[in-house]
Amino acid sequence: MSWEAEVQEIARRRAFADQLGGPEMIARQHDAGRLTIRERVSNLVDGESFQEVGRLTGSAKYADGELQSVTPAPYVMGLAKIGGRDVAIGGEDFTVRGGTSWGSSRRKGGQGGFVEDLAHNYRIPLVNLIDGAGGSVTSAERRGYSVLPGIHGFEQSVRLLGEVPVVSAVMGTAAGGPAGRAILSHFSVMVKETSQIFAAGPPVVRRSLGQEITKEQLGGSKVAVDAAGTIDNVAENEAAAFDQVRRFLSYMPQNVWELPPIVACDDPPGRADEELLSIVPKDRRKPYNMRKLMGHVADNGSLFEIQPSFGRAVITSLGRMNGQVVGFIANNPMIYGGAMDGAAARKQIHFLDLCDCFHIPIVFLVDVPGFMVGLQAEQAATLREGMRCVHAAMQATVPILTVIIRKCYGMAGMATCDKNGLDLKVAWPSAEWGSLPIEGGVAAAYRREIEQSDNPALREKQLEAELRAFASPFRTAEAFAIEDIIDPRETRAYLCRFLDAARGKLASSLGPKPKYGVRP
Amino acid sequence: MARLEAKSEVSGSVWKIEVTAGQSVAEGDVLILIESMKMEIPVVAEAAGTVASILVAESDPIVEGQTVAILDT
Repeated sequence: MSWEAEVQEIARRRAFADQLGGPEMIARQHDAGRLTIRERVSNLVDGESFQEVGRLTGSAKYADGELQSVTPAPYVMGLAKIGGRDVAIGGEDFTVRGGTSWGSSRRKGGQGGFVEDLAHNYRIPLVNLIDGAGGSVTSAERRGYSVLPGIHGFEQSVRLLGEVPVVSAVMGTAAGGPAGRAILSHFSVMVKETSQIFAAGPPVVRRSLGQEITKEQLGGSKVAVDAAGTIDNVAENEAAAFDQVRRFLSYMPQNVWELPPIVACDDPPGRADEELLSIVPKDRRKPYNMRKLMGHVADNGSLFEIQPSFGRAVITSLGRMNGQVVGFIANNPMIYGGAMDGAAARKQIHFLDLCDCFHIPIVFLVDVPGFMVGLQAEQAATLREGMRCVHAAMQATVPILTVIIRKCYGMAGMATCDKNGLDLKVAWPSAEWGSLPIEGGVAAAYRREIEQSDNPALREKQLEAELRAFASPFRTAEAFAIEDIIDPRETRAYLCRFLDAARGKLASSLGPKPKYGVRP
Repeated sequence: MARLEAKSEVSGSVWKIEVTAGQSVAEGDVLILIESMKMEIPVVAEAAGTVASILVAESDPIVEGQTVAILDT
């Protein structure tokens, strides 16, 4: 006697799972330019590392007590490795009833469920592969009653945001719960043209507002990524989305109780690129390419930009310095001179919180004239968003190093300094700063003197010139009000030296970071 | 041959037009300078090609995302 027959039954039932929603539904998924959930998991994770959990779940059909077939549960999940490290991974199976939720008492994932419990209990990252529209009204018919929202709530999803890296890849059309799940992430990515995300799709919009709109117009990457910043990044295709997921996780620790991995670095910390000497034009009206500048400072090929197409006045990029993970926040003078608008503030807040949560030191490359001005900016609550950003910066406790490249003005400038720490700020010779720029500032402060002058325009120019003499960074350095002025070519070496030294502090201040108070 | 729309990344006004229709340009060449927030923000050629047309004049107001020139690439 052995258990051979039962083991064969396991194999038979596993085969049902592998059939997903059947050949016809799989063909439809492929015709739409999309992979199935099993293909996605296998393309994303290391080799054969996927250890599925709950492979036998589904709705079975029996005849005379004999199993006929099992329609798999529309969610596939388990344990896998990415970059050699364990992750919890799961995603909706769109080929089974469009990936809608499934009426078991214990969920597999998608909104709480086993996969999130796995990430929480084992303190490993969570990867969501999202392709579903959430609840279906048909479930009320099955149950015989309507459930309150939150019966399978987001409480575990929210808890995870303070514990382990959470990545969501929107792989199809996501609405309702799965769309909400995508937002509760540290990093999210969607696929150009084959994925969309919205609170509610075109049929609901038609019924509610009488608007005719396609799902791509409503929630394609142009809206969700570029205009709204609802999702962080866009990828050309599913393979590129998986690359971004792997890349993001490579900068992350497994959880907030560990440090991000430090890799061997073959790029000398002392590399001093000559281009840095002339990258900032002497003419203050002329901008320059901040991304190029960042490339000269960070470890070769180490930069990975988060939200490159949203809030473009600021650049937020993970990267490495001498092998150590660093969050770079750099203003982009090509976009409104680097002035912080509401979108840039929102992006900077998220990135500050991300770095602080995972004990990633921050390097600011500062060229900010202040908050964005004008009626549109005021209508967009730039002042409030900007102050929320100041608040986030003042709550951060990771080491922050500040390099002032050119302008550092106002409250946006203040929010670039390590006010809870060493407050080490170094400047390039091209730097200038103050509580507000001299232009405009002079007109306001010396209004009466200028008005009463015989030649107001000339007097304004004279006053500006007089005050500009005090704006020399060397005068501030004499007073130790800036800690150092450095040769731009020394930037990499200087930063690497301090970031290396900060490792001990980072290693001895691990753990979750509860934050108190009310963000304005 | 493809037509490429060169768009301004910022609102502002046209400061200087650096090219003329018919001129060939390399990738990264400055086509038009937009004055915005007291800075001269370049609109650059995203690919090498020929300037097919310039759609704005100096001192014209510009809105973010506006097409300011067409390139044949």
